[in-house]
Amino acid sequence: MTFSGAALPVAQLFGSLESQAASTHAIVSLLVVLQLAAPALTLFLVGLPALVDRPLSERATTRFVGGAFTLAFLAGLATLAVLAMRGFAPEQVHLGTWFSVGHHDATIDLVADGLSVPYVCFSTGLCALVNAFAGKYLHREPGFTRFFVLLTLFGTGMNLMVLAGSIDVLFAGWEFLGISSTMLIGFFHERTNALKAALRAFTTYRICDVGLLTAGVMIHRAVGSGDFERLFNGVWPNGHCLVSPGHATLISLLLVFAAMGKSAQVPFSNWLPRAMEGPTPSSAIFYGALSIHAGAYVLLRCEPLLDAAPVARGALVVIGAFTAIHAALVGRVQTDLKSMLAYASMTQAGIIFVEIGLGFRVVALVHIVSHAILRSLQILRSPSALHDRHELEAALGGHPGAASWSVVGMLPERTQSWLYRVALDRGFEEMVLSRFVIGPVWRLLERLGGAELAWIEWLGTRPEDRGRDTAGRRMQGGWR
Amino acid sequence: MSFDGHDIPLLAALIAAILAPLAAAFHVSRGGSQGAPRTPAMIALLVSLVAGLTITLFWMSGPEVTLELGQRLGGGYLVHVDGLTAVLLPFVGLVELAIVMVAPNRFLDGPATVRILLGAATTLALFSTAHPLVLIVAWVVTALPTWWSTRATAGGQTAARVYAIMMTLAVACMAIGTLMMIADPPWEAGGGFLGASGGWLVALAVLVRKGIVPFHSWYPALFRGAPMSTALAATMPQIASYTAVRLFFGHADHGDGVGAELVVLSQLALLTATYGAALALVQRDLRGLIGTLAMSQSALVLAGLAGKLPMELNGAFCTWISSGLALTGLGLVGWALESRAGPLSLETPQGRFADAPLLAAFFLLFGLSSIGLPGTLSFVADDLLVSGSLDEQLHAGLLVIAATVLSAISVMRGWFMVFGGPSNLDGPRHHLLPRERIALTALFATIVLLGLWPAALVRELERAGSDLLGVPVEAHGYDAAAVGWGTRR
Repeated sequence: MTFSGAALPVAQLFGSLESQAASTHAIVSLLVVLQLAAPALTLFLVGLPALVDRPLSERATTRFVGGAFTLAFLAGLATLAVLAMRGFAPEQVHLGTWFSVGHHDATIDLVADGLSVPYVCFSTGLCALVNAFAGKYLHREPGFTRFFVLLTLFGTGMNLMVLAGSIDVLFAGWEFLGISSTMLIGFFHERTNALKAALRAFTTYRICDVGLLTAGVMIHRAVGSGDFERLFNGVWPNGHCLVSPGHATLISLLLVFAAMGKSAQVPFSNWLPRAMEGPTPSSAIFYGALSIHAGAYVLLRCEPLLDAAPVARGALVVIGAFTAIHAALVGRVQTDLKSMLAYASMTQAGIIFVEIGLGFRVVALVHIVSHAILRSLQILRSPSALHDRHELEAALGGHPGAASWSVVGMLPERTQSWLYRVALDRGFEEMVLSRFVIGPVWRLLERLGGAELAWIEWLGTRPEDRGRDTAGRRMQGGWR
Repeated sequence: MSFDGHDIPLLAALIAAILAPLAAAFHVSRGGSQGAPRTPAMIALLVSLVAGLTITLFWMSGPEVTLELGQRLGGGYLVHVDGLTAVLLPFVGLVELAIVMVAPNRFLDGPATVRILLGAATTLALFSTAHPLVLIVAWVVTALPTWWSTRATAGGQTAARVYAIMMTLAVACMAIGTLMMIADPPWEAGGGFLGASGGWLVALAVLVRKGIVPFHSWYPALFRGAPMSTALAATMPQIASYTAVRLFFGHADHGDGVGAELVVLSQLALLTATYGAALALVQRDLRGLIGTLAMSQSALVLAGLAGKLPMELNGAFCTWISSGLALTGLGLVGWALESRAGPLSLETPQGRFADAPLLAAFFLLFGLSSIGLPGTLSFVADDLLVSGSLDEQLHAGLLVIAATVLSAISVMRGWFMVFGGPSNLDGPRHHLLPRERIALTALFATIVLLGLWPAALVRELERAGSDLLGVPVEAHGYDAAAVGWGTRR
C-alpha cells in the first residue's frame, strides 16, 4: 500500500500515536508487574531463610518488607499518574498463558484501571504503615518472622486479587488472602481460643470459596476463558456486560455468596469478632481494612454483571441491610474493644454491600477506603487507648464521656430487654447454625467414623478372637 | 511402534530404573551394607529417579510415539512406554527416594529396606507394561511386601488382616477378570458376554485396590497399622489407577474411548472422594487423617479418569502426581514428628510447634499443597478437574468441589491440633536432619516448580491422554460431543 502526499502526515500521526500508546502500555505493564513482584519476591526473600532455619534479623525483615510495600506503593502511584493522563482507560497486561488444555486457557492477565490502581495504592500504603507499626509492636515476639512472611503473603495475594484481569488470577489472590488470614488469626497458636477462631474463619472462607470457584467455571463456560474483558468491557464504573442476563445473574449470585464469607455477612459473620484473637496489626489490616472489603472489591470489579442481574443486586441490598442492622445491634453490647470494633466493621461492610446493590459504585469505593483507614487506625490504637482510658478514669473517677442518651433508651423497657437478649446472643445466628447445621452434621460424621473403626476392628480380628477382650491386640496409636 | 536404534537409550534408562533398586535389594539382603542399608538404597533410588527423568526428557525431545516391545497380549505389550509412563517413572522414583531418606534409623533395618526396594522396583516395572498377565503378577508382588511389613509391625495385625482380605479379593477378581477379558476381548469389535463380565470383575478389583466405597476400609487401617513408609509406598503410586487406564481405555464398544466400567467406577469414586474428605474431618489421630485424605485424593484421580473431556483426564493425571507428592510429604513430616514426639492425637491440641517449628512449616506447606494452594501443582490439578467435571456433569463438579473444601478444612484442623496448643517451652527442640530437610525440600520444590510452570507437564499429559483416547491433541474442541474420539490404535 502506498500513501499519497496528503495521507502521509496522517499516517505518520497515527504511527506516532501507536508508538506512544505502545510505549505507555510497556510502562504500565512494567509498573503493574512491579506492584506484584515486589511483595512476591520479598515473600521468598524472608520466607526461604526461615524455612532453612536461618531467619533474617528483625531489622532486615522489616526493612525488606517495608521496602517492598513502599516500592509497590510508588509503582502504584506512578501507574495512577499515567492512567490519569489517559482518562483512566483500562490497560490490559497479558503476562502469558499459564497452561492450556483443549479449550481451557488459564491466562495470567492483569488490569490497570480506575478501580484496581487506586486500590493497590491504598492497600500497599496501608501494608507499609502496618509493617512499620508491627516492627515495634512484635519486637522479640517468637513468631516475628512468621508474622512478616504472612503479611507479605497477604500483600501478594491482595495485589494479585486487585490487579487480576481474569477470574483465575483473582481466585489465586483470594486463596492467599484466606490462608494468610487464617494463619494470622491462629498466630498465638498456644491459645486454644485462637486455634478455634482460626479454624472457624477458615471453614467459613472455604465454604464461601465454593461460590468463587463455581463462578470461575461458569465464566469459562460462558465465554470460553476466564478473562474479564470477554465478560464485560468499558471504563469502570460504567462497564458493559457481554454475557446473557441468565449467565450474569448466576455468576453474580455465586460471587455474592463468595463475598459474604470474606466480608462477614450474615449468616457467615460469626468468625469476625473471634478473628480479633490475632495480633493487633493483623487485626487492623485484615478485619478493619483490607480483607473485610475483599468481597466488596470483587463485586465492584464485576459491577457490569450486577447491572445485568437485578436479582443479585436485590440480594446484596437485603443481605447488606440485614448484616448492618444485626452488627449494629450486637456491637452495642460487646464488652471488649476489639469485638466492638469488629462489629462496627461488619456494620460498615453491610452498608457497603447495600451501596453496591443500589448501584452507587464510586460511593462504595470511597466508603471502603475511608472506612478502612479509620478502622485500622482505631484498631491499632485500641491497646493504648484502653490504657489511656483507664488512666483517665482513675484520675477523674466514674466513666467520663459515657453516653447518657441513646435511641434504644427511648424504646419501651420490654422491647429494650428483648433487644438486649437478642444482641447478647449475637442475633441467635450461632445458636441456629450450631444446633441445626453444624451439630447434626458433626454428630453424623462422628458416628460414621466410629462405625468405620468398629468395622475395621471386626474385619481385622480372627473369627475365634471376636468377642474376646482384644485390648491387647487392638490397633495401637504408637509410631511405626 | 516397532523398535529401532533411537529407542536404545530409552530402553537402557528403563532397565536402569528398574534394576537399580533390585540390585540394591540384593546387596542389602546379602548383608553388603554392614548395618547401614540407607546409603545403597538412596543411591539405587537416585539412579531410578535420574533414569526416570532421562526417560521423560527422551520422551519430550523425541517424536513422542509410544514404545511397545515384546509379546502383545490382550491389547497390551510387555514393554509399554508412553507419555503417562514417562511422567510416572520419575514420580515413583522421587516418592520412594524421599521415603528412604526420611525413614527413622530405628525403622530402616535390612529387611525393611529390602521390602521398600523390591516394592519400588515392582512398581516401576508395572508402570512400564500394559501386558495384562504381567499386571496381575505385579499386583501380587506389590501387595506382598506391604502385607509382610504390616504384619511384622507391633499393633499392625488388624490392619494386616484387613489388607490381606481386601487384596486377596482384589487379586482374585483381577486375575479371573483379566483372563476372561483375554479369552473374549472386549476391546475388539464383537466381544461377548464373557469379556464384558471379565471387565466388570476387573472393575471390582480396581474398586477394592483403590479403596473405593464400600471397599475403602483398608486405606485408613493401613495408615494406622503399618509403618508410614509401607502405607505411602502402597498407596501413592496408585497402581490400580494405572491398571484402569491400561485396561479400560479404548474399548471398541464405547465411542468416547472410555470403558463403561470406568464410568461406573468414577461415580463411586466421586462419592468416595467426598466421603473420605468428610471422614477426615472427624479423625482422632494424625495417621487416620492422612489415611482418609489419601483415600479421598486417590478417589479423585479415578473420578477424573472417566472424563470425556481432555481437561478432566488431564486434571486426574495432575492430581495423581500432585496429591502423591504432597501426601507423601505430609506423611513423612508426620512420621518424622512421631519418631521424635510419639503418637499424635487430634482430639486435643498437642502443642508441637515449639518442639519442631520447621516440621510445622513443612506440614503446613504440604497440607496446603494437597488442597489447591495457588502456585502449586494441586491448584492446576483442581482447576482442571473442577472445570472438566462441571463442564461434563454438574453433580460431579459439585462433589469434586465438596471434596476439596472438606479436605482443606481437615488439613487445617490437623495442623492446628498437632502444632497448636500450650507447649513445653523448656522441652527439647527437634531440628531436622540434613537428609530429612533435603528430601522434604526436594518434594516441596517439585510441587512448586510444577505448579508455577505447569505448561510442559500439562502438555505431556494432554498428549498421553490423547493417545489413550485415540484422538489428536488438536481435535480437542470446546464441545466434547463434537469430538470423534475413536477406538484404541
